[in-house]
Amino acid sequence: MDKKLKETILNPILKGNPITVLILGICSSLAVTVQLKGALVMAISVIIVTGMSSLICSLLRNSIPNRVRIIVQLVVVAMMVILVDQILKAGEGTYAIDKQLSVYIGLIITNCIVMGRIEAFALGNKPIPSLLDGLANGVGYGLILIIVAFFRELLGSGTLFGLQVLPAGYIPNNLVILPPFALILLGCIIWAHRAYDKDLQEK
Amino acid sequence: MNTNSNAYTVIYTTLVVVVVAAVLAFTAMQLKPSQQANAKAETLRQMMSAAQIKPTDELYAAKNAQILQIYADNIREAYTIGADGQKNGTLGTDKAGIELVDNLKPQDKAIKAGGEVTLPVYVFQNGFSVIPIYGAGLWGPVWGYVAFQPDGRTIAGTYFDHESETPGLGAKIKDEAWFREKFVGKTVAFGSEPLFNLAKNAEAGGATNAVDAITGATMTSKGLGEALNVWFKAYEKHFGKTVNPNEEEE
Repeated sequence: MDKKLKETILNPILKGNPITVLILGICSSLAVTVQLKGALVMAISVIIVTGMSSLICSLLRNSIPNRVRIIVQLVVVAMMVILVDQILKAGEGTYAIDKQLSVYIGLIITNCIVMGRIEAFALGNKPIPSLLDGLANGVGYGLILIIVAFFRELLGSGTLFGLQVLPAGYIPNNLVILPPFALILLGCIIWAHRAYDKDLQEK
Repeated sequence: MNTNSNAYTVIYTTLVVVVVAAVLAFTAMQLKPSQQANAKAETLRQMMSAAQIKPTDELYAAKNAQILQIYADNIREAYTIGADGQKNGTLGTDKAGIELVDNLKPQDKAIKAGGEVTLPVYVFQNGFSVIPIYGAGLWGPVWGYVAFQPDGRTIAGTYFDHESETPGLGAKIKDEAWFREKFVGKTVAFGSEPLFNLAKNAEAGGATNAVDAITGATMTSKGLGEALNVWFKAYEKHFGKTVNPNEEEE
């Protein structure tokens, strides 16, 4: 694999992580991280939406009229989001999770990561790198989502993926269940990330 | 080619929209049957949870096909009643019988308008009769199922659901088992007012037709309480006089 492609894949997961470095997609990462299961489904949905939207927009990039390009991108992203939502509703195992995630699946369309990657990358690059860039950004987003959800479910409910992990005597911490705690946790992750990667620190 | 000309832009956007619409319409058509099957199984889970057929966790762990089977094994009779409280139709004991539940919103309107209604009653083998309720919460609709014991006034179980109540506050009507269990053993005061009281400190006086509202979820509790009263009123003529004729039959 050549160096540039490797960079495309690894950068969004580590150094250019959409949540901890670009601070995009914060809203949904606060809302859907109460339980790991929901966070995982949300992460997979976002990975699919960012990947496929970037791929489609990259395929269309030379034909899109410049004046209406945002609208065309929006239509493509909206289509992908609706498809994901419909498929989740149709799956027997995912129906309950879709109900639980309710509006947040539909709101993937407003996730800045999706449109941001299309504008910044897919419109100027070939389809395969664009697909990988979209997928990698989704993975970078999903990774943070899962880390946050791990702590919130563990401390807030004493469970992981719905299975009791902490002893039955553990009293769940209600603060952890509320969205503000996700923001605190996110702050801690950003702190740890910057402490680890000195390049991210402002001079 | 000039991709910035007006004609090109109009034709291009039209094409994109038509293609996307076609893809979405096709997917929606293909997936509709399984989405409906999921919704139907969900309704049955909630009904049977209220009717105490099996524990809620077990019902939610079961597959759709198993749910239909459990329903078929446990349902005794399903029928509809009109505004006069008399039976005006049967729903059949097969799985098709639940479809009326999709009809809650129009029925809620009909009840409030005082028109003719077709309200479902599901009688299970254990003698419990399940009725739906429907109303407005804080952010969207709230609905649920209330199971009556064979005497037609003592509550045997409930299950409430909502579209978009606040997680951790109003959403407790669905999430917290203790809330639905509070209704068990309470009675609906058919023939007097209020039929049921869901309010702050409602239980304090020792009334049997009352449950305390949820702290921090005043509007959701109020909406749910109103939904209960509106729908209980609609069933009053049915349950108020007829003690379930099938009682003690087996």
